[in-house]
This record gives sequence, structure tokens and C-alpha cells, in this order.
Amino acid sequence: MKARKSHFFKLQDSLFKYFLIACSLIVVGLFVAIFLMLFETSLPSIYQNGWSFLTGLVWDPNNNIFGALPAIAGTLISAAVATLVAIPLSIGIAIFFTEYAPARSKLVLSLFIDLLAAIPSVIYGIWGLWIIAPLIKTNVEQPIIGAIGFIPLFSGPAYGLSIFLAIVILTIMVIPIITAITIELLSKTPVPLKEGMISLGATKSETIRHLGLPFARLGIVAAVILGLGRALGETMAVTMVIGNSYYWPFSGYSIFAPATTITSKIAGAVGEAGGLEFSALLEMALILMVISLAVNFISRSLIKRTSKRGFG
Amino acid sequence: MHLLSRKRKETFVKILCFLVTAAVIIPLLWIIGDVIYNGLAAWNISFLVSPVIQGGIGNAILGTFIINGMACLFGIPLGVLTGMYLSEYGQEGWFASMVRTTVESLSGIPSLILGLFAYATIIIALSQSATDRHYTAIASALALGLMMIPLVGKATEESMRVISNDIREAAIALGVPKWIRTTRIVLAIAKGGVLTGSLLAFARISGETAPLLFTALFSNFWPTGINQPMASLQVLIYNYALSGYPNLVTQAWGAALFLALIVVAINIIVRVYTKPKYKEGF
Amino acid sequence: MQTKLDVQDLNAWFYQKQALKNVNVKIPEKMVTAVIGPSGCGKSTFIRCINRMHELVPGAKVSGKVLLDGADIYGTMDPMDVRRKVGMVFQKPNPFPNMSVADNVVAGLKLLGTYKKQELSELSDANLKSVGLWEEVKDDLKKSGASLSGGQQQRLCIARALAMNPEVILMDEPSSALDPASTAKIEELVKKLKNETTVIIITHNVQQAARISDMTAFFYLGELIEFDQTANIFESPKNQLTERYITGRFG
Repeated sequence: MKARKSHFFKLQDSLFKYFLIACSLIVVGLFVAIFLMLFETSLPSIYQNGWSFLTGLVWDPNNNIFGALPAIAGTLISAAVATLVAIPLSIGIAIFFTEYAPARSKLVLSLFIDLLAAIPSVIYGIWGLWIIAPLIKTNVEQPIIGAIGFIPLFSGPAYGLSIFLAIVILTIMVIPIITAITIELLSKTPVPLKEGMISLGATKSETIRHLGLPFARLGIVAAVILGLGRALGETMAVTMVIGNSYYWPFSGYSIFAPATTITSKIAGAVGEAGGLEFSALLEMALILMVISLAVNFISRSLIKRTSKRGFG
Repeated sequence: MHLLSRKRKETFVKILCFLVTAAVIIPLLWIIGDVIYNGLAAWNISFLVSPVIQGGIGNAILGTFIINGMACLFGIPLGVLTGMYLSEYGQEGWFASMVRTTVESLSGIPSLILGLFAYATIIIALSQSATDRHYTAIASALALGLMMIPLVGKATEESMRVISNDIREAAIALGVPKWIRTTRIVLAIAKGGVLTGSLLAFARISGETAPLLFTALFSNFWPTGINQPMASLQVLIYNYALSGYPNLVTQAWGAALFLALIVVAINIIVRVYTKPKYKEGF
Repeated sequence: MQTKLDVQDLNAWFYQKQALKNVNVKIPEKMVTAVIGPSGCGKSTFIRCINRMHELVPGAKVSGKVLLDGADIYGTMDPMDVRRKVGMVFQKPNPFPNMSVADNVVAGLKLLGTYKKQELSELSDANLKSVGLWEEVKDDLKKSGASLSGGQQQRLCIARALAMNPEVILMDEPSSALDPASTAKIEELVKKLKNETTVIIITHNVQQAARISDMTAFFYLGELIEFDQTANIFESPKNQLTERYITGRFG
């Protein structure tokens, strides 16, 4: 037998195991390092600005005054509204895909959904900036302002680049995430129950409403939260179309006004920032990271619960 | 009468779902149409092969591939090895669940923050002073590699885990040690899934711009080394789209078309390669 | 009759549940020993203790001795060495799908040692011939092992175990997933194998045990009830439980 000796294999076996553990430790270490770096760099700002960082409205590097509330509000509002709008649209597509779409069109349709998720955000950005912003300005914002501009939410002037446009683009970017998971959940509706309902004379829409959606509910919630996470952290597309004006929504409530988010503020300012401003920007990043991780964690625990129930 | 109204409701739901689907597919086709139309207007041979300084995008194409390549060198091995650990060694225990939680959390960190991490740990650390920053493509690769780890790791873990235990038992019964079984049987069977995951991760980082903005920065010239500022398609699109000069905006559209082609091509290749089964997310 | 395996006071557990109780048996060399008994009687656990695969299941525990040619496999011997000397064929055929038919046969040798290409291909051909698969697959040697039919896959797995030149070969209901024609081929093969090696085969089918084995062991609720020459077991069983089982009154 020309086989090697067993003790040789045993040594290799434990070396290999420790090698894998070491690699996993590197990954854990990098994650911890990201967190520590953000925290450590934020310390001067946390120390100097205190709680007023969370409530302040002014960002003035010349006088070392840093309040992050407009950016935090912009991030939360744009992500939340975009996700809310995306929910019915995504569920509609998922129902169309699983119930009504002809079998041959499914391949193309699912490729489209994948592509929607795959298109780089900077391409959404250039499209929003040069194609959609002018269109929305003249065909949506100006008519609405003209008709109901007396309502603060829709007051003028029309800029094109606005929180409204950012929400539109974010909605398009969030839809494929929620849709993909919802399709997966709906296609796992227990077939015997489905057949049972149809044999009782239920229509497809009734089957979906009373069987498919209730079964998928928890998973859809997880998908929505996952989509929210994506919207919260999105940088490029938002930066390019939101107009980057720091005071919204405290300067006025119009959704057609330019605004800012945590990500667009950081992307725009970090290159030139030094000293306390850099520290303040990283404190904003730390806040974003904590929100993102919390959202991610909630979504994953929900997904785990659905898979324990036997589907998802 | 009752039956009729139920039928009407069914038709209504069907049409509504169709309209919603169309409403989302239209922007997709619209974007693709705009990118092709405006991009092709910029394209010719010299546009693709000459550097930015001569009005082309050649150095940005090369830069994107160099940065992605470096990110792969770092992200794919770490992802595969971590995924392998989770699938074959880390079924239980606190260490394994810590690693699993970390990998999942890593995928939830916005890419901008990974860019900030690379900026703070490499750019600022290597710079002489605040006014004389040393920008380098290596920092970009670190940020993008960090993005790849959870994508590749999850793909590896999942495609190894679905392999039947019968196969592992066959190897054990032959007296094959675990590490050989893991690498030359289980990983070898799962390599299609690992490859697919790596390709999708490559496509994903190809479009990432935020981690490059303040790490690789930009350059108008052909790269002469990796430890220096480097152009990329992504940053070119961002900078030139915002510049407002028509000729630069056209250049940005041309770059957008090339970038979209990379991403779409990889997605279609993966789609054809992995059979028409719906798979996404998680 | 030379003893190949001497099992002494073998006990096995899954967590609290005792799966084998004080099993003592001497398995003779170069014979086919059939292991029979109703589901859950411990027969699978018994053979998995002989190549030290039982202990891989979480919560599993073993005590006692298993002497292979006088040396205790639970003593200083490495489990990997044990498994190389004691080959195993499983209930469901499990060829490596990433390897060709030819490579599957010599998979163990290839993964463990340093052999020349020429040696490997000769060994592969020889073992395919000895399981009677050569004529059927000689034109498809480069195809994936998973492309063969179920019966062919199982014979491929037997060839893979044989290529390691094992002292003992364990078979866990190797034909239970196969059609009657494939089963007949496996049975023929098992009868032939005892010229070269010692075979221990679990079977759910009492007639199969009668057809192919020299010795038969009957297990019930984790205990070895009776062990004797197959002819004796089937013609004049000493224990009433054995008689009831082989006449099909329970199981």
C-alpha cells in the first residue's frame, strides 16, 4: 500500500481545521475592526457634541457646530416611504408571477427582476439625474404645485432634484428585493391546501388572499425589512438625485424640495473633511451602521422563524 | 350574480397585478434603453481604448478590473474558507454561531461604511499629512473584498450543505481524512455553486461606487501600479454625470453602458448556467 | 474455521438509548455472514461499530472490544486505518458525482496515496471486471459515476470498496433500493466475493440471507439472539424468536 501514514493525515486534519478557524477569525476580526474604527474615530465628536448631535439642525464646520438630525431624518423618511410604496407593488408582481404569468414568460420576467436588482446604483443615479429629474420637474412637480401648492407638503418651487425623486428611485431599487423573496415564499404555498381550495371552487385571487399571503406573511415582513435595510444604506443614486440641501424637513415640508441623507452627506463631505468634522461624519456613519445592523438582525431572525415553520 | 361578481373580482386582480408588473418593468427597459442609446452615442474604438485624458474610458475599464481583481484575491478565498468552515466544521457551538452572525451582519453593512473603513485604516494611516493624502487602489480593493466575503461565504456554505450526507459517509468509509473529503469531494461537488456565487459577487462589486470615492479616487491616465490613485468606471460615471459639461456627461453615459454590459452579461451567464429555477435573496 | 473478527462485550448508545447490548460474536474469515432482524434491532449500529462509523453520530458511545485478526480496532488503531481495512457499501448507492466511473473505483487510492496513472487505471479496470461491470461500462469510463443506473452504481460502489483491498467488507442492505434483476446480480457478486474477503451483510430479506450467506446472526432489540450456520438457523433454530422471525410471523 502506497498510502501515507494515518498520523500524517491526522496532523494535516487538525492543521486544516485550525487554518479554517483562523480564516473565520480574520473575518470576525475585520468586522470588529470596522466597528471599533467607527467608534474610536467618532469619540471626539461624541465627546464634543454630546446629545445635541442627534437633535441639532445645523452643520457648520467653520464654527465646529454639528447637528445630524436633518440627515438622520432624511435617511429614515426616504427609506421608509420608498419601502412602504414598494410593498404593494412588489406583492402585486409576485402574485402576477406565481399565479397569472404564462409559464414561458416566467424566465424573462425573473431575469428582469434580477436585473432590476443588479443594475449599479450609480447608473440609477445618472438616469435619475439626467432623464427623470427634468421630466418629473415639468410633468409631475410643476402641475401638482400649480394645483395644490397651497398644501405645505406639495409647495413650490419645483427643483427636479428632490427628496421626492430620491424616493422614486429608491422604490425602484427596493422592489426587486421584496419581490424576489415574496415569489419564493408564494411558490412554497403547500400544494395540497392550494388544490383543496381550488377544488372547492375558489378563484386564484381568493386562494392567494386566504392561503398564499397568510402563509407567506412573516417572510414578507422579513423581506420588507431587508429592503428597508438596502434603502437606508443606499448611497450613490440618492446622492445624485436628492439635491443635497441640509435643512429639509426643518426648512419646510415640501416633498419637492432638495434634502440630504446620512450617506449623501458623508459621500459629499468626507473627502475634504478634517478634524472634528471628520469625526462627526464618522459618528453619523456609526449611527447608520447601528440602524443597518439592527434592521438586518430583525430581518434575519424573522427569516429563521419562517424556515423553522417549514417554509422559507 | 354572486358568481359573476367573483369572476369580475378575479379579472380585476389579474389586470391589477399585470399593470403593477408592467409599471415596474417599464422603468427597467427605460433605463436599459437610455443607457444603450446615450452610451452608444459615445462609443467608438478609440473611446474604449484611450485613457480619460484623451476623452476615452480605457483606463477606467482597466481600473475597474484591476480593483475588482484585487478584491477577488482577498474576498473569494476568505469567503470560500469561511463558508467551508460553517458548512463542514461549524454546525454547532458558540464560535460557529459567532462566525455565522458576523458573516450575516457583514452583508448588512452599507458599502459606504466599508469605504470609510478602508479610508480611515489605509489612506489616512499612509498619508504624511491631511493636505497630502496618499490615495491607493489597494484600499478600494479592501472595501470591495469585504463586501464579497459574505456573498461568497453564503454561496459556499449553502452549496456545500445541500450535498447529501451519503457522499460524506462514502468518503469516511474509505478512510479518507476529513480535510481531503472536504476539499476534494464536497467542495469539488459544490464548485458550481461557489463559482456562481463568486461571479454574482463580482457583478455586485463592479457597480459599487461609494467605497471607491475616497480611496482609489480617480486618475486621467493609464495605471502604472496598484499602490496609487486609479480610475474606475463607477467613479467616472459619478464625477462626470455631476460635472454638467455635455461632453463629460456623454463620456459618463459611455462608461455606464460598459458597466451595465459587465453586470448584465454576468447575470445572464449565471442564469443560463444554473438552469431556469427561481433563486434570489436570503 | 479461522476467526476474522472477534466481537467482545460490545455495547453502543445513542445518548441515553442503548442500541446494542453486550454483543459477543466470532465472525469467520472468507465467509458471508448475514445479519438479520426487524427494523430498529441494532443491526445497522452493529456493523457501523465494526468500521468505527457509529461514533461519528452526535450522542453516540461505544464500549467493548472488536478484534480484527487479534488487534482491537478500538485500541491504538486509528479510525481511518480501521476504515481502510474494513470497507463499507451503503443502502443507497453513493458514487462520487464529481468523479468519472473509472476514478470512482480508485477514489480511495487516489485521495490517499501516491499512485501512478497507469497503476490506477489498471486497478480500476481490474475491479470493474471483478464486480462484473466492465462489459457494461467500458465505453463510458469517462462519464460521471452518477450517470449509471442504480444497480450499476451499487456495483461501482462495491468495486470502490474492493479497490482498497479490504480485510472485511460491510454491506448495509445493498440491494434494498434496487430492482429484482439488479438484486440478483448483487447476490451473485456477494457469493463470489467470499473467495477474496470476509463479507458481513445486513439484509431485510430473510430469503436473501438464506440464499447467499454461510453464517447468520439474528438481532432483536439490540441483542444478538442467535448466531449459527445459516443452514442451522433456517432448519432448526434454537430460539423461538428466531423461528418466528424467519417464518415471517413478525418483523
